[in-house]
Amino acid sequence: MRVAPAGGSSRRLAALRLLRRRLVQAVPLLLGVLIINFVLIQLAPGSFLELMTAENQVSDPTTVELLRKTYGLDDPVWLQLLKYIWALAHLDFGFSYRQNMPVIDAILIHLPATLLLMLSSITLAFVVGVAAGVVASVKVRTVWDSLVSIAAMFFFAAPSFWLGIMMIVLFALKLGWLPVSGMATIGGGGGVLDVLRHLILPTLALGLFYAAIYARVMRSAMLEVAQLDFVRAARAKGLSRTKVTLSHVLRNALLPVVTILGVQMGTVLAGSVVIESVFSWPGIGSLLFDSVSSRNYPVVLGIMVLGSLVVIVANIVVDLVYMWLDPRIEIR
Amino acid sequence: MERFGFLARFARNRGALAGALMILVVALAALVAPLAFPIDPLRIVGAPELWPGEAPEFPLGTDSLGRDILAMIVHGARATLLIGLFASAVATLIGVSAGAIAGYFGGWIDETMMRVAELFQTIPNLIFVLTIVMILGSTLTNIVIAIGIVSWTSIARLTRAEFLALRDREFVQACRAMGMSNLRIIVGEILPNALPPVIVLSSLVVAGAVLFESAVSFLGLGDPNVASWGRLIGDGRQLIRSSWYISAIPGVAVMVTVLCLNLIGDGLNDALNPKLRDR
Repeated sequence: MRVAPAGGSSRRLAALRLLRRRLVQAVPLLLGVLIINFVLIQLAPGSFLELMTAENQVSDPTTVELLRKTYGLDDPVWLQLLKYIWALAHLDFGFSYRQNMPVIDAILIHLPATLLLMLSSITLAFVVGVAAGVVASVKVRTVWDSLVSIAAMFFFAAPSFWLGIMMIVLFALKLGWLPVSGMATIGGGGGVLDVLRHLILPTLALGLFYAAIYARVMRSAMLEVAQLDFVRAARAKGLSRTKVTLSHVLRNALLPVVTILGVQMGTVLAGSVVIESVFSWPGIGSLLFDSVSSRNYPVVLGIMVLGSLVVIVANIVVDLVYMWLDPRIEIR
Repeated sequence: MERFGFLARFARNRGALAGALMILVVALAALVAPLAFPIDPLRIVGAPELWPGEAPEFPLGTDSLGRDILAMIVHGARATLLIGLFASAVATLIGVSAGAIAGYFGGWIDETMMRVAELFQTIPNLIFVLTIVMILGSTLTNIVIAIGIVSWTSIARLTRAEFLALRDREFVQACRAMGMSNLRIIVGEILPNALPPVIVLSSLVVAGAVLFESAVSFLGLGDPNVASWGRLIGDGRQLIRSSWYISAIPGVAVMVTVLCLNLIGDGLNDALNPKLRDR
């Protein structure tokens, strides 16, 4: 029988503790999102009921009465808030007449495409950013360093949606290498390779901005860590420069990159919404704009809540990765 | 003398100097726009889809309707810069107030403030901006406030950290011993010392706000009376097959402006943060 090393099991315990604490902390965060939603609804011109029924001019008195009851519109504001929270806690985001299905279903249909785009963009940003940062720091004050700096400066300043349009012009319209938009070729079988080909341009448009940030952070973190005592000790032990850089410096320099990656999850999700509109990517972005333009408030508010939930979950994952990278720190 | 030292330090960063000069050009363009192009930039003045250089009277060409792109870019500079500055001002006002109160008083006030900041970092920022603008209406004021509301958290965190570091220093204790009110200590004594790094961050928030605004108007939720750059990119999108320059030109304008604002931020950082100076 194999005995698990003591360190391994205690780390697993620590990870579980972290997970539990994070889930507990998520509750007030989600409550906060709901309250902000509620305040926005109260601020909106017109009554909540008008907002809920504005789309398609729902005039059926029984439906209106049902909504009135569900959201308790004759009650005082604090009771309305409680009822609103109660409804959303049961995933009752209302009914979308436009899609003719519950709001939650409409959102869940579109969510996977958005998650795919987010995941591929973050992966690209992380790999490209870290690689570029390492190259720049190893070849500090050379042409390579300058090239990385200049590229990072430009991609940090270019609006992602504009970059997307320009890449469509170059790679899809002029060169014809990649598809213009969508997630799969219509009537083209729609295999994995086909989806990947459609994924390339949106991923670049969204991911390069973050790659630029990570490259800058990675470069300065590498340079900082390289000056620490333990690195000199590793070199003195007789390890080669490459080995020290890759196994000692890199691992520690990754920590700040992982930290900002966690902080930026919300921005990545929001950014993917814009990119989706450029590439007609069938994620929640298209649903959001359709809902915005048709004043379909329940769907928009539902996207806010579920989007925040995605960010919270992604942050927990990032925390676990952080813990794996740096066992010293027990995250509070 | 001190001020001169600041300028000299700023100018030593050549990128920052170039950025500042470029922003001056953009600001000048924004100022003289009504003089240089007195007629409404959204009016049709020529044949549609003239490429840049094709007609001498329209150096940057015309758009799908035959409007002068140069005139629209110059007028758009006004909207873009003003929205960026005001949104950053809103974010700085909220962020500094929240951060100062959290850092100075500590305890449960601090805990609550930081939870609220976390909440605003959790909500996908642009989706929040779009929702606010959609519900309250696409006016310049609403857009500015919405961008400010999603951009204050980093400023609050930084201000809080500065206040935490300063609040127990001797000069603050002396003020307390003299019986100064908390408000006077916060605003008159600690804030001036905490401000330099905050100014750097605010200048970077301007750049972020310009990008935000361009995304909002690109998506068609901008103020309909304003020809901002993001809206021009969006307008040109339908014609990328025949006339991609219509989208490309305003995008370059956004990129150059944001790039220069970032360079200015770097320069301010060198000049204002003595710890990093001469590195």
